[in-house]
Amino acid sequence: MSVMSIRHHPSEALLTDYAFGAMGPAQAMVIAAHVHACEHCRRQVEAAEAVGGALLDELPAAAMAENALDEALALLDRPAPAVAPRPAPTPQPADWIRVPPEVAAAAKRKRWLAPGVWVAPVDTGTKGGPLSYLLRVGARLRMPVHTHRGCELTLVLKGAFRDGREVYAAGDVAEADDSVEHSPAIMGREECVCLVACDNRLVVKEWLGRVVQTYAGI
Amino acid sequence: MSGTVEPAGLIVAVATRGDRSAFAALFAHFAPRVKSYMLRLGAAPEAAEELAQETLLTVWRKAALFDPARAGASTWIFAIARNLRIDAVRRERRPAIEDDPSDGRAEVEPDALVAAAERGERLREAIAALPPDQAEVVRLSFFQDKPHSEVARDLGLPLGTVKSRLRLALARLRGQVEDLR
Repeated sequence: MSVMSIRHHPSEALLTDYAFGAMGPAQAMVIAAHVHACEHCRRQVEAAEAVGGALLDELPAAAMAENALDEALALLDRPAPAVAPRPAPTPQPADWIRVPPEVAAAAKRKRWLAPGVWVAPVDTGTKGGPLSYLLRVGARLRMPVHTHRGCELTLVLKGAFRDGREVYAAGDVAEADDSVEHSPAIMGREECVCLVACDNRLVVKEWLGRVVQTYAGI
Repeated sequence: MSGTVEPAGLIVAVATRGDRSAFAALFAHFAPRVKSYMLRLGAAPEAAEELAQETLLTVWRKAALFDPARAGASTWIFAIARNLRIDAVRRERRPAIEDDPSDGRAEVEPDALVAAAERGERLREAIAALPPDQAEVVRLSFFQDKPHSEVARDLGLPLGTVKSRLRLALARLRGQVEDLR
């Protein structure tokens, strides 16, 4: 699917955090997925990595153990460490933007929360840590009003939503922080699927609870 | 680099000939710097040493994937070190966004090595010439492993100020990285 029309890119500050490794796994998942599909931001990340390389180069040398090189040379012929075989990649839905295999695979874990709404956690290997998840919301639905404690990043994989005056379509990234109170509305006749990262797992639980309450009439 | 051969050429020598003396030269330059980087980010000395070792061993194993037309040697090695550190510290694996390595790699043109070296040189000069306020936020985020929001808090600056400094710095530096492509 073409993503030439991306209008909302992550800030350079976020791309730099990502390139420097100064970002938690949940947000990194969203940035990686955007960069996967966005040539423009991939170049930004490469530029920041080049800056990282230059800064690494100018660091003073720390003393290595005396036999460090000998040890390394002795290890060169050892077979490469066994890498856990990667499961065959899950084919991704054709109407999503191109996503990394981890994200496509997450859709298998979807749980319906309410009519029109499902979520699926994306495994980032950190238990109890920050969370990234897929969120699917049916056409014409509106999310309950909510704020975010901590930073939330949302990447649209399919469809579009409106938040205030801005429209976010496939490939776009929305950054919300705790200053934002919003109630995004799904646009058009199509469902909207997003990859969302939130710093704070508790906030996600509360907010998904509100979704259930709102749509299931609990 | 202190030797006479550019590091990009050394990685290519490792890739094409399994050249151990090229590896030793890469090790001599980069292992102590990777260790230094890990120490700055708070790793214990043994862990920093181990990550430096592992970084260089990964350079040996993955040398065939190095493409000097896409990234300089220090950039490529930095990315390896960064990923190993993320694996070690956060037990997190990053999704791969690289092109499929099974695509194989085109022959490396000697020109690409020269261009990579020139790019690196120009980038270093551009970093040195950054306005001090921009250089400060770039260095802080790099050397302290802090997201820009924490850098802003530490410096007592509004988030928007830090974001715009990073934006300006990256725009300026990106020009140097891409010019010669």
